[in-house]
Amino acid sequence: MFQFLVDVLMRACDLMLVAIGMSAVYSLMKFPNIALVQYAATGGVLGIVLQKTGMPVVIAVAFAVLLTGLLAVILNEFLFNRMLKIGSSTAMIGSLAVSMIFSAGFLVTVGPSPSRFAMPLSRPVRILDARITEPQLLSFAIVAAAIGMFALLYFRTDLGRCMRATSTNEVLADATGINTARMKTIIVLISGVMAALGGVAIALKGEVDIQMGMDLLLPVFASAILGGLGNPFGAIAGALLISFAETAVTAVNFGPLLGQVVAFLPVAYASAISFLLLVAALLWRPRGLFVSEVKRV
Amino acid sequence: MSDFIVHVTIMSGLYALLALSLNLQAGFGGLMNFGQIGLFACGLYGAAIAFQFDLSAIFGFAFAIVAAALLGWAFASVGRNLQADYWGIVTLALAEVIRIIATNEDWLTGGAQGIGGIRPFYFDLDSQTRQIAILFTVLALVLAAALLCRHLIGGRYGLSIKIMREEPQLAASLGYNTITLKRQLMAVSSVLAAISGFLFAHYISFAGPEQIDSSETFLIWAMIVVGGLGNNIGAIVGAFLLQFAFAFIPFVKDWIGLPTEYVAAGRLFLTGGGLIIFILWRQSGIVPERVGGGRYV
Repeated sequence: MFQFLVDVLMRACDLMLVAIGMSAVYSLMKFPNIALVQYAATGGVLGIVLQKTGMPVVIAVAFAVLLTGLLAVILNEFLFNRMLKIGSSTAMIGSLAVSMIFSAGFLVTVGPSPSRFAMPLSRPVRILDARITEPQLLSFAIVAAAIGMFALLYFRTDLGRCMRATSTNEVLADATGINTARMKTIIVLISGVMAALGGVAIALKGEVDIQMGMDLLLPVFASAILGGLGNPFGAIAGALLISFAETAVTAVNFGPLLGQVVAFLPVAYASAISFLLLVAALLWRPRGLFVSEVKRV
Repeated sequence: MSDFIVHVTIMSGLYALLALSLNLQAGFGGLMNFGQIGLFACGLYGAAIAFQFDLSAIFGFAFAIVAAALLGWAFASVGRNLQADYWGIVTLALAEVIRIIATNEDWLTGGAQGIGGIRPFYFDLDSQTRQIAILFTVLALVLAAALLCRHLIGGRYGLSIKIMREEPQLAASLGYNTITLKRQLMAVSSVLAAISGFLFAHYISFAGPEQIDSSETFLIWAMIVVGGLGNNIGAIVGAFLLQFAFAFIPFVKDWIGLPTEYVAAGRLFLTGGGLIIFILWRQSGIVPERVGGGRYV
């Protein structure tokens, strides 16, 4: 039982940071940025590449994360801002295009084979009957710390207050003297950093390949949308829900229902179930489960 | 070499059908469908399953049409109260669910192996003549589809879906039932996509899950954005342009002397780069939409 919870939590860790980033960007920029999942892959890949050049892991990761954040800001400044002037749907297609370029870039730079951080091997530790590996614990700690920092920034600092004001009503925020353009740049930087950290957290637990970004796309979207796009902390709940569904579907024995002793669904159906969960939830609440946006009347 | 050109032309024709279908939805109706490949899958697997179970091709065709129309109807129904970007993700998720089912239900779809050896059209002709016959069939179908699209868009129906795209509330206030309009539009255009899938399966004699990967949907999006959103000729031009460009990437690669990975990367660069360039500098695509001017009104 405890193992089940650990599995859910570990999967949620994979999705959470990227989903928070996506929600945060949506709250200010008002378009779902598909390229964000590629920032996650970039973070992981760049971290591994930098480590191979001889840097200690911590410094390699810090550099990778910061570089990815900067890249996010640059792309936003030169591409997405211009596309958003045409429309949010256009910006979404544009972010899709950027994500293709990323895939192509990975293909020619690191190649199709997966890579991993050079880490000492360790035996899994046992906590309350569940097996957890050290890299898993490490990655959990990174995710928890990142979320904690983001929450502090968002709810306890002046900067966070300005961000929330801008996302609620941009015109009013502008009128009260908040530099909304700068707020957008900062949130884009944060989202890039969060996504890259998410990618690093995944890479620490196993391998990274160039498909990672696209594989993350739908579960991350599902988490962010379930939580109500634009509500970063809803995304945490969304990620937990999606991971719970994915893990439950493969861990539950459907045998008794079908009159057989054992009947498990194939693992591949895990993601199918979470997408169906997304569709079902949207039929009932078309803007996600936890919508924080103030609707104009 | 001429065989090769014929093959590329046939492929372009099949993609032109898909592009015309997506253009009806996205270009004229403003429906951000990211699950176009799911509709194509109905046709592809309609043909393959009919072959697998020794049913006649006519049965496969009927199955493909009905399945695609129902799926299109379902897409539109799911989206009846969703915002455009939410609906885009939902269609992407549903298409992915279809792919996962196709990969895992071995008894029906042959699983990851797919279904091979599907009897090609004009089976009794020798291969050279058969190619030519298929070429003319596909081109005739593209022409017929283009005329159908022109007929639909030129009439009152076309005007109503354009109003729905530009001003949904105005359309509703004028007495148009926007949900019905969307469902009709999706059902009609889905049939076009299914026909393309059906021909595709019979042309290359194979149906497998990698053909219905969501990246294919993004490719079709690139075709209509490059060709010109909201213009039927544009959709056809975009499909031919990208297919021919893709066909010559391997030659360019050999000419410069690059490794094989660069072919896949080249396609991604071309699709993504084409999208970005056209979004930023030529929003209306190669053949811009004609505004106003209906023939029957």
